[in-house]
Amino acid sequence: MKSPCIEFKRARPLLGTIVEITLLGTDLSRCEQAFGAITLVQQRMSFHDPSSTLSRINTDASNGPVAVDDKTFRVLRMAHLFYSSTNGIFDPTIAPQLQRAGFLPRRRGERQPRAASFGDVELLPKKRIRFRRAGTRLDLGGIAKGFAVDEAVTILRRTGIKCGLVNAGGDLRAFGPRPFAVGIRDPRRPGTTFASLVLKNCALATSAHYFAARLKPGAQLGPFVDPQFGEFRSELASVTVVAKRALIADALTKVVMLDPDNSLAILQRFAGESLVCTTQGTVFSTPYWHERLQAAA
Amino acid sequence: MKDWIPFVAVPAVATGSALPGVANTYLTVEQAQKTIFPGASCTQFPVTLTPDQQKKIESRSKVGVRSRDLKVWRVSNGGWFFVDEVLGKHEYITYAMGLTANGAVKQIEILDYRETYGYQIRDEPWRQQFVGKTADSPLNLDQDIRNISGATLSSRHITDGVRRLLATYEVALH
Repeated sequence: MKSPCIEFKRARPLLGTIVEITLLGTDLSRCEQAFGAITLVQQRMSFHDPSSTLSRINTDASNGPVAVDDKTFRVLRMAHLFYSSTNGIFDPTIAPQLQRAGFLPRRRGERQPRAASFGDVELLPKKRIRFRRAGTRLDLGGIAKGFAVDEAVTILRRTGIKCGLVNAGGDLRAFGPRPFAVGIRDPRRPGTTFASLVLKNCALATSAHYFAARLKPGAQLGPFVDPQFGEFRSELASVTVVAKRALIADALTKVVMLDPDNSLAILQRFAGESLVCTTQGTVFSTPYWHERLQAAA
Repeated sequence: MKDWIPFVAVPAVATGSALPGVANTYLTVEQAQKTIFPGASCTQFPVTLTPDQQKKIESRSKVGVRSRDLKVWRVSNGGWFFVDEVLGKHEYITYAMGLTANGAVKQIEILDYRETYGYQIRDEPWRQQFVGKTADSPLNLDQDIRNISGATLSSRHITDGVRRLLATYEVALH
């Protein structure tokens, strides 16, 4: 059955990746507001941009409470929820480790803190944030991209768009009555897919090594830091999570990547399903992956 | 991987297939002009860089100039419209950039994005075995897999390209 609607796609470089918006049979000017919402998230939550809200937090929150906007505070609260419900597996205070490993830029005069955790981050009334430990730095890279996708979907729906898909370099969300076929890149052969599924009214995110790795070729290391040990784990080459919202899917991929054995209960709590490919090339899924895939069609 | 279950791909859903979704055309040059500069008109402005200009652009932007022939348009409101290509290890991106009359970046739109991998050509016969398999799909999918989830595709090459174009504007058009 051919879809009666014509697909329109637009793409822009944002969030350090290529963000693509697909709408069905509609006026593409509506994309503007959605790209605008994503740009706003980038301006506020980019680690790389010294003028972002996040950079202001990283510079000033050790000296006293920093008031932030509503969206940034929402993301911080979600980060705290994931931190507390994963026993600290999800922890955005890994920025200094990522900087040491060369995945994030260093700034002049920055102190190398002792190991901080999100437990040292206080979320205060009136949307304020404070670091208990000097030199703590947050990286929202594990969650902000998903949030940006959710924001874009919210705007599109609010302007009356019934159906579409927003894809920020693999963190994507489909909305509306039409299902979208999504392929998952094979980490061993990035030009091919090793699985595909049909997404309807839900989000999917993948974390993997093939593009993100910046160390020696073939080293199979991605920008994932175990907050407890500060080391890179590489048992999994690729982790995909399906969840209701892109922020949840995005955050859960990091949790599964770092601790697959303990992540099943966490996935269940957030109604997420997951598909993973080990560095050995074996593929595993959560028990209801297939069921969910069928139900979505 | 305690309690995870070994994954068996649903045979009816195409797997192991090449990624048509990683070859997308978004906008034509003309559509991009209308998108970035609504209501204005664009006139092509032929420029061929001299070797001296090329050197200056490269030293300012720290990016190599691959073509001395520019694809640039003068916009009726005083702005500029560029079409440029960037080449990564596996990706080939055509994009458009609009500059305001003051030389500030107004908007960037991707026109065309393609990925290529050596083994795709090599494995063509192997891939052929999957052709048609989707027809029996219980999901009755007759759409291509046009959306891909994988690790982040970097937009670094576009960032480099924009830096080169801004230096080009300073050196050759300003």
